[in-house]
Amino acid sequence: MTSHGVPRSATREERTIEARQRELKEISEYQRLVEEVNTKVHAKESTPQLLQQTAELLRRNPEYYTVWNHRRRIYVHEFRDLEKQVSASELDEDRRVSQVLDIIQLDLQFLFPLLLKFPKCYWIWNHRLWLLQQATALLPVAQARPLWEEELGLVGKMLSRDSRNFHGWGYRRIVVQSLESLRLQGQSMSRQELEYTKKMIGINLSNFSAWHNRTKLILKILDEENATDDERQKMLDEELELIHQALFDPYDQSLWFYHQNLMCTFDLDLAAKSMAPHLSTEQRLSYIASERRYIEEVLEDAQDCKWPYQALIECTLLEAKMQQGLQEDGRTKILQWLTELKTLDPLRKGRWLDMERSLVKAAA
Amino acid sequence: MALVAGPGIGGSRSSAGTLPAELTLVIDKHVKYIQGLDSRKDELDYWLTEHLRLNGVYWGLTALHLLGHPDALPRDKTLEFVLACQNQDGGFGAAPGHDSHMLYTGSAVQILATIDALTDLEVSQTGGKERIARYIAGLQDPTTGTFAGDEWGETDTRFLYIAFNALSILDMMHLVNVESAVSYIQACANFDGGFGRAPSAETHAGQIFTCLGALSIVRRLDLVDAERLGAWLSDRQLSNGGLNGRPEKLVDVCYSWWVLSSLAMLGKLHWIDAAKLITFILSCQDSEHGGISDMPGDMVDVFHTVFGVAGLSLLGYPGLVEVDPVYCMPKKITQALPYHQA
Repeated sequence: MTSHGVPRSATREERTIEARQRELKEISEYQRLVEEVNTKVHAKESTPQLLQQTAELLRRNPEYYTVWNHRRRIYVHEFRDLEKQVSASELDEDRRVSQVLDIIQLDLQFLFPLLLKFPKCYWIWNHRLWLLQQATALLPVAQARPLWEEELGLVGKMLSRDSRNFHGWGYRRIVVQSLESLRLQGQSMSRQELEYTKKMIGINLSNFSAWHNRTKLILKILDEENATDDERQKMLDEELELIHQALFDPYDQSLWFYHQNLMCTFDLDLAAKSMAPHLSTEQRLSYIASERRYIEEVLEDAQDCKWPYQALIECTLLEAKMQQGLQEDGRTKILQWLTELKTLDPLRKGRWLDMERSLVKAAA
Repeated sequence: MALVAGPGIGGSRSSAGTLPAELTLVIDKHVKYIQGLDSRKDELDYWLTEHLRLNGVYWGLTALHLLGHPDALPRDKTLEFVLACQNQDGGFGAAPGHDSHMLYTGSAVQILATIDALTDLEVSQTGGKERIARYIAGLQDPTTGTFAGDEWGETDTRFLYIAFNALSILDMMHLVNVESAVSYIQACANFDGGFGRAPSAETHAGQIFTCLGALSIVRRLDLVDAERLGAWLSDRQLSNGGLNGRPEKLVDVCYSWWVLSSLAMLGKLHWIDAAKLITFILSCQDSEHGGISDMPGDMVDVFHTVFGVAGLSLLGYPGLVEVDPVYCMPKKITQALPYHQA
C-alpha cells in the first residue's frame, strides 16, 4: 500500500545530477504512456495496441487500478463480440471457446510475474480472480476447471514463498470454493485442504494462518461428513495431541491461540459452535483437568514464559463456569498466577490488574 | 493541484540511528513535511502513487488537524481538488480521471466533513450529499449485506466500514440495510474474538478496526466479546513497544492505529504499555525532515505519519488534538455530526 520495510536512504537533495535527470526522463516516459492510454480509452478504442500499452503501464505500476478496469472493459467487449458472431453464425462455438480461453490464459500468464514481484497488490489478485470467474461463466467445464486447478498450484507457490500472505490464504479459500462448486462439477476438498495446513505447520510451526485455516476446515469437515459425537470427539483428541506436540516451543503465541481455540470446546458459552458441542459436563471437566496437567508440565521447563500462566487461569475459569462459580482455592491460585504475570509481562499490566480487581470484587 | 502526494516517501539517512535520548514529537517538521508533499513532481514516485492521491489528502489533512495546524493546507484548493475527483456515478476516484471506488469516496467524504464543506457541496450541486450516498448504498450486496469496493465486485469488511463511516457523516444511513451488514460482520468473527476480511478469513488487526468501527457507528458493540478480543489486541504489543497486526508478525507504526483504536473502542486502552508505544512511534520519526515511517530507520510516508500521530493522540500525547477512534478524524468534528445527535 505504502512504503513498508524500505530503509531510509538518500533523499532527493542527495541525488546526483545524473540520477535526477534519469528520473525526470523516466517521469516523462511514464506520463506519455499514461496520456496515450487515457486518450485511447476516451475515444473508446479497443485495439490490441491499447491492450499492449495497458500491459506496459501496469508492469510499471500495478497499483493503477483504473487501468486494470480499462483492461477488463476491453475484454468484456471482446467476449460479447465473439458471442454475437456465434449468434450470427459467423463463428462456430468451438472457435469462440478457444479464443476466449486464449485471451484468459494469456492474461493469466502476463499476471504471474507481476504477482511474484508485487505479492501484496490487491488489484493483481482481483484481476486474476475476475479472469477465472469469466472462465467459469463463458467456458465449458472441461476448459474452465483446469484453469482453476492450475490456480491452486499457483497459490501454493505463492504461499510457499510467504507462508503468512493474507491475500494468498484468502485467495486459496476462494479457489477451493470454486473447485468444489457444482458449476465446475467439484466435490469437497476439505480433507485435502486440512492436510495442506498440516504440511504448512510442519514447515513452520508458528504459521498461525495455517492453524487458523485448520479451525475452519475441521468444522466444515465434521458438518460435511455428518460426524457423530464420537467422531467429533476423536477429532478433538487428535487436535489436542497435535498441539501438545507443537508446544515444545512454549514461547510461540500462535500455538497458544490454537490451544485456546480448542479450549473453547469446554466453554459453556462457546461450545455450541465448537467441534464437539455435545460433551457432557463430566467429559468437559475431565478434559480440562488433563489439559491443566499438561500445561503444568510445560510450565516446569519454562518458568519465565507467560503463556502457560494465562492458560492455567483460563482452565480455572472454565471449570468455575461449570461448577458453582469460582471457589476460594481457585481464586487464590489465579491471584498467584496474576502476580507472576505482572512480573513476566509488564507490558500488559493494566490487563492483569483489571482481572485482579474483578476477582477481588467478586469475592467481596 | 493535489496538495498532498501519496505516499510522499522520504527521509534522511542522518537522522536514522542517531536518536536523541529524550524523544519529542517534532510537530513543526511534520507540518512542513506534509505541506511540501505536493512540491515533489520531479520524483517518479509522485507519479506512481497517483492512485493514492485522494487518500493522501485525507491522511495529510487529518494529520495536520491532529497536530493543531488545521489551516496549513488552503481550504479552497482542497475543496476544488476533491470535487475534481468525483465521477458521473456520484463516487470518487483517486485523482481526476480515475474510476470511482469506495476507498476514495470514503476519503472524499471525510475530507469534506473535516474542512466543513458538506454545506458547500449542497450549494454547488443540489442533492450533492445524497448523490454520493446513493453511490455508496448501491455497492451493498443485497444477499450477504456486505459491500463491494466498486462495480467489479471485490468485497471486504474494509468497504463495509467505509460505507458506514461515510453514510453516517452524510446522515444517510437509512439508505442501507444495517441489520444484514451487522450479520455479515458477525459471520466474519473468529474464535479468538477477532474479525477477518470475509467469513472464514484469519483475524487481522486492520479488519478488527473496520468491524469494530462499523459496529460502533450503529451502536452494536454489544455483539463483541470484549474480554477475549481485548486480550488478543493487547498481545500485539512486543517488547520494543511497537504493535504487530497478527501473531508472530513484525511491528509497524500503522498498527499503532488499527490496534490502539480498537482497544479504545473496547475501553481497554490501558491494556498495553502506552509509554513504550509512544517511544516506539517517536523513534520512527524523521526528526530532521519530518514524517513518520513504519519502523525505525525506514522511509517515512504520509500514511504512517497520520496513523503515528493519531496513535499518539489516542495515548494523550501533549499538544495534540483529540482523535475519534471510530473515524480517525478530530473528535470535535465527529461529535458535531447530525447522525450522532440523534
